[in-house]
Amino acid sequence: MSTSLDQALQTYIAEARELLEEMEAALLRLESAPDDAETLGAIFRAAHTIKGSAGLFGLDPIVSFTHIVEDILQRLRDGNLAVTAQLIALLLECGDHMQQLIEVVAVQGGQLDATAHAHECGLRERLYSYQQAVTEEACMPVVHAPEPTIEVCDEQHVSSELWHISLRFGPQVLRNGMDPLSFLRYLNSIGSIQRISTLSDSMPPMDSMDAESCYLGFEIELQSDAERATIAETFDFVRDDCQIHILPPHGKIAEYIEMLQQLPEDFSRLGELLVSSGALTPQELERGLAAQENPSGNQPQQLLGEILLEQRVVQPAVVQAALDKQSQLQEQRSREQRYVRVQADKLDELINLVGELVIAGAGASLLAQNCQDEALQEATSVVSGLVEEIRDGALRLRMVPIGDTFNRFQRVVRDVSQELGKDIELHISGAETELDKSVVEKIGDPLMHLLRNAMDHGIELPEVRQAAGKPSKGNLHLNAYHDSGSIVIEISDDGRGLDRQRILQKARERDLISSTATPTDAELYNLIFEAGFSTASAITSLSGRGVGMDVVKRNITALRGSVELDSQPGLGTRVRIRLPLTLAIIDGFLVGISQASYVVPLNMVQECVELSADDRRATRERGYLNLRGEVLPLIFLREHFNIDGSPGRRENVVVVRCAEHKAGLVVDELLGEFQTVIKPLGKLFSTLRGISGSTILGNGAVALILDVPALVLQITRQASHAAQQPAALSICAR
Amino acid sequence: MSIRTESQDGRTLLHIEGEMTIYTAADLKAQLMPHLGQDGELEIVLAEVCEIDSAGLQLLILAKREATRNETALRLSRHSRAVLEVFDLCNLAAFFGDPLVIAHSPNG
Amino acid sequence: MAKTVMVVDDSSSVRQVVSIALKGAGYEVIEACDGKDALNKLSGQKIHLMISDVNMPNMDGITFVKEVKKLANYKFTPIIMLTTESQEARKQEGQAAGAKAWVVKPFQPAQMLAAVSKLILP
Repeated sequence: MSTSLDQALQTYIAEARELLEEMEAALLRLESAPDDAETLGAIFRAAHTIKGSAGLFGLDPIVSFTHIVEDILQRLRDGNLAVTAQLIALLLECGDHMQQLIEVVAVQGGQLDATAHAHECGLRERLYSYQQAVTEEACMPVVHAPEPTIEVCDEQHVSSELWHISLRFGPQVLRNGMDPLSFLRYLNSIGSIQRISTLSDSMPPMDSMDAESCYLGFEIELQSDAERATIAETFDFVRDDCQIHILPPHGKIAEYIEMLQQLPEDFSRLGELLVSSGALTPQELERGLAAQENPSGNQPQQLLGEILLEQRVVQPAVVQAALDKQSQLQEQRSREQRYVRVQADKLDELINLVGELVIAGAGASLLAQNCQDEALQEATSVVSGLVEEIRDGALRLRMVPIGDTFNRFQRVVRDVSQELGKDIELHISGAETELDKSVVEKIGDPLMHLLRNAMDHGIELPEVRQAAGKPSKGNLHLNAYHDSGSIVIEISDDGRGLDRQRILQKARERDLISSTATPTDAELYNLIFEAGFSTASAITSLSGRGVGMDVVKRNITALRGSVELDSQPGLGTRVRIRLPLTLAIIDGFLVGISQASYVVPLNMVQECVELSADDRRATRERGYLNLRGEVLPLIFLREHFNIDGSPGRRENVVVVRCAEHKAGLVVDELLGEFQTVIKPLGKLFSTLRGISGSTILGNGAVALILDVPALVLQITRQASHAAQQPAALSICAR
Repeated sequence: MSIRTESQDGRTLLHIEGEMTIYTAADLKAQLMPHLGQDGELEIVLAEVCEIDSAGLQLLILAKREATRNETALRLSRHSRAVLEVFDLCNLAAFFGDPLVIAHSPNG
Repeated sequence: MAKTVMVVDDSSSVRQVVSIALKGAGYEVIEACDGKDALNKLSGQKIHLMISDVNMPNMDGITFVKEVKKLANYKFTPIIMLTTESQEARKQEGQAAGAKAWVVKPFQPAQMLAAVSKLILP
């Protein structure tokens, strides 16, 4: 396949995947609104386009299967078939199979294996059962009727070895954009016109002649090896309003006579014309005329009707009533689709470059500041402002709404709840909340796991729920919103909640907490994110093997996010995931400790406080600061990172907030806001705690980016332990 | 499309310039009609016809038929390549009866 | 001079393949992604043929044909509609609007070329 065609195929694959997703979402919508014409239309169009484009690439397995699906959808659309839960389930399965076909046939260029093929046969059987009597015809491969064998030259046949084509074009032909001359040119491409007579007898006198009407006719002798069907197809587009006669080489004389009688021109004039063009010999014409006058027992006339190509398409008078409604739907759809498709790598490249630009810009600003040149400083500040806008714009390009990810779970919830024998409804809100595509891609699996977990362990069986006085239908909520530079995704259920006693017992068994400690609910519940922790008494195929929740947490942490859980016994559980909007660039707050620089994500910085000389000693002992009456745990970064040298003349506290927790980071110097590109740390540093990345400063030095959530979590845990166990107070001062 | 009229030795010369297609046919017919019923020799110069389709062809056939009916002389001359192709395709050279000159290339 | 064909379809893969086929045969191609887009791209240049899908967002093929028939410079342009065998009613509607030619989806590029060359040769 040539490169450009191959590119087109890639476009097709992406398009088909997208359409299948849309189709699935629409099928699920159909469950709640079975009569919605818009939804049906969307499903139909998806199947229709997938089939149509597959044909272009010769992907016959896709065409053949999708054809049946499309047919069923058409019946649904026409109201000949009713939407039922079974049918939707079947169509969903068909969607899955189409997906598989795309992957196997279009992506890998292979064929279905035996299992998949058997599966397809099963689906086809079930689809057939929905099709009514008409189906057989639709499934039969199109077979061209065999050409009638031509007997050579006995009494009844003409001697000419050429096709005779007689054309009388209808008056509308030109207005319809058809040029009779183009059909003649086409005939010359499938054969060769040996002789042709142009007729204009039907043209009225000058005054009443309409220049845009067609009055032309042609009598053509064509030499061609093409089959009758091929020649006849030439006139497909004008067949409705034209008189067309096609007579094969050595055709029956009687056919010629019949044709002559049907044509509008004078019989004898045309007869002469045919004789002069060599289509008929004078003897043949004479014999034919004689036969017409004394019809014998043979029945050539009857045959004529069959052989003469007189094709009138029967018009089933179906009118599309819902046209207006459909156009509304299409407008809405087009609004959604007014996108430019850009390759993700190109965007990544752009964002990378913008990152470099940000760094270079910071470097230039730094130099400008050192120069003390006001004009230069002003200029660089303008540049910085623009760079910032470009950065935001570039990042926005990669922002996608989380709704698509959410909607995918409708299917999961539906399937899983059926499997578990539970009645569960998924409610989605905040679908329009945007976040970086790279984050979206990675959050799908953790979300899936959390949802399954909630369905499996959280929501009870209908009987249990009723016994507890709750409605038998369980509810799952997926919600997303923006909060201080992060996106928060909440998964909540109205199930039984976590069993505090069992978790406590398990945690003690596994030595996750000491046997005497009495952790708070929040602390205890969050233990389920620890490795190897599972409390499910019944292990199902979905979750509950104790793998998962720790993986969920690890995945989220890897995205610089955090996860927390709270639960009310009997009322439900809520898991809250907090993620950065983007992984590429952050607005940072630069701080210095001795010669080293660190970056604190700006959106987590609440305020900065200078530590007075008196405070310094006291806080160092206590490990916390009295911030306007509030206890603020402190992290002494110099100690935390083992930085040599003595504390500077002055120290400052950067108050950071992460989720509900606050902490103070003790540093030497506050160096101000700084926007920065995150460079991931190498594998070597992957175990490093408290650092999430690095960046390069304008002067070329490296600064580490602090992993504030990890630091805060660490200190708040220690602080709460410290509250219970005063002896552990000195953790901060190593 | 435009028609330039010129008188020469008692003949009327109509220079048709541009396309003779369905888009221009109505206009062309309107401009052509006044000349068709008149006495005297009429010559339609086709050198500048860049495109001709069935609609254009029909008008030439109409002109020829009117001239024959009125027994006036109509000559088509200096057929452009596009016109020649169509005449050839439809075998109309004999119908119009004008000498056809295959255009030379300048250096030929 | 090469003949110009306008291809109107919301599926970019269809547009791509059709235009590869047409360009390979010597036609010039203008692509548009729906009826509205196509109308916007008609700016006086000569279009010898249009190929239009029926089901499209924004402006469907039937409406597009009706609009083209209102434009003095384009009303006589031959239009090939892309339909499916299951859409006989839509096809009739398209023909009534003035698009007399059609190609049934799914089609192979060669079938499309054959249909186009019946109406115009490159």
